[in-house]
Amino acid sequence: MAKRPGSFSSVAQPVRSLWSRFAFATLIAAAFALMLLGKADVLMVERARVVVLDALAPVIEVASRPAEAVTDMLNNVRDLRYLRAENARLTVENDRLDRWQHVARRLEAENRALKALTNFVPPRDLDFVSARVIADGGGAFVRSVVITAGRRHGVTLGNAAVSGEGLVGGVVEVGENYSRVLLITDLNSQIPVVVERTRDPAVLTGDNTRAPRLVYLPQNAQVVPGDRVITSGHGGVFPPGLAVGMVTAITDGVIRITPFVDWERLEYVRLLQTGADGVVQPESAHIPPFSVMGQETETRSRGVLP
Amino acid sequence: MMRPTASQRLDLWVRQSAPMALTAVLAVLSVITVGIPGYAAVVPGYTAMATFYWAVFRPDLQPASALFLIGILQDALTGMPLGLTAVSLLLLHALALSQRPALVTKPFLLTWLGFVVIQLPISIFAWLMMSALQFQVIGPEPVLFQYLVTVLGFPVVAWIFVRIHRYVVR
Repeated sequence: MAKRPGSFSSVAQPVRSLWSRFAFATLIAAAFALMLLGKADVLMVERARVVVLDALAPVIEVASRPAEAVTDMLNNVRDLRYLRAENARLTVENDRLDRWQHVARRLEAENRALKALTNFVPPRDLDFVSARVIADGGGAFVRSVVITAGRRHGVTLGNAAVSGEGLVGGVVEVGENYSRVLLITDLNSQIPVVVERTRDPAVLTGDNTRAPRLVYLPQNAQVVPGDRVITSGHGGVFPPGLAVGMVTAITDGVIRITPFVDWERLEYVRLLQTGADGVVQPESAHIPPFSVMGQETETRSRGVLP
Repeated sequence: MMRPTASQRLDLWVRQSAPMALTAVLAVLSVITVGIPGYAAVVPGYTAMATFYWAVFRPDLQPASALFLIGILQDALTGMPLGLTAVSLLLLHALALSQRPALVTKPFLLTWLGFVVIQLPISIFAWLMMSALQFQVIGPEPVLFQYLVTVLGFPVVAWIFVRIHRYVVR
């Protein structure tokens, strides 16, 4: 665009430059202030996040459809090649599972009989809603997904999200129609679990890698690779007995598990509604927004391995 | 000199706001699920590429306030601490702007090299900030991968920017 004659801009330039510098510094300061406010769990910042999420999630939902279609198509082409081998494998597996089903039926009957004998109080059945995953948090620092269910559908903070394979994470932000699920691999995720075989309680803590760590095991715990890890239900937020993952690596006392969830094909999750909104609310300061361990978590989470 | 008509002004306005609109779209795109193994962990920093490109070639169309808003938007979408991406983009913009004379009107290879050099301290800064906010040192590998994917992907994305620059923004 041509400049107007009698150039006003030559006069305005230094002033504008000064102003733009000031504006720039203000914006940087504002961004830092936001970060600190967010860290201090100010309710307003949380609300702002949820509002932005609710407003933009429909856009993401629409945009994710074509991406999903392309992914599905690629997967189909890939799957075609393995169809024959897969079929053979499934036949064998089916035979094996039939035998398992037989065993399970027998155990179920036995279990029922024994429970009747001991007056066992059964846990209540859980309600759930299913939702589609429309976005996975990009970036190197956060592991979370956005799902298409919110307050309107009965989602509350702390609901456990599970896929067909196992535990995916817990709800940390609830919008009107959309929510954010913090994955169990995220840095801020801490979940009370037990080792299925030995019943050793522990805490599963994410560190943004694909394999979260098992910490706070009892001194004498005998964990070996291949052990299954399930939720313990301690803290009363997640229901007990959800499959989480399998111990795959023990190096220098650091025990890592591989979650059962197939992160690349995470399309739908179920949100289990325990009714107990046990997650610590943002109002109570000094506690990370996502904590199913309550008051002690922050101090304990920085301790060393037992 | 004729006063531009309303439609001409609208046309100009649309053209001139194209870069920022594009960056905002890229912010949304960076959270779309794609079934590539490990993709979510190392999504390239599309907005960083865009910010650098426009800071070098059309800084007049990239106001700091728009960058700030886009950064906040991306933070809210990805679940990062609000403000972290905003600061990163603003610093990237300022750094690129300060080196602009050395980058503009040079062969593309030099511009790319400029991005490789300038994005590095920005990535390190984001990593340090995130570590500070978490009160613990975060493993540097994801950040390193993201940095590499971002700078390596730059020519591909820049090719699109060049087209938009040439035919839409003008």
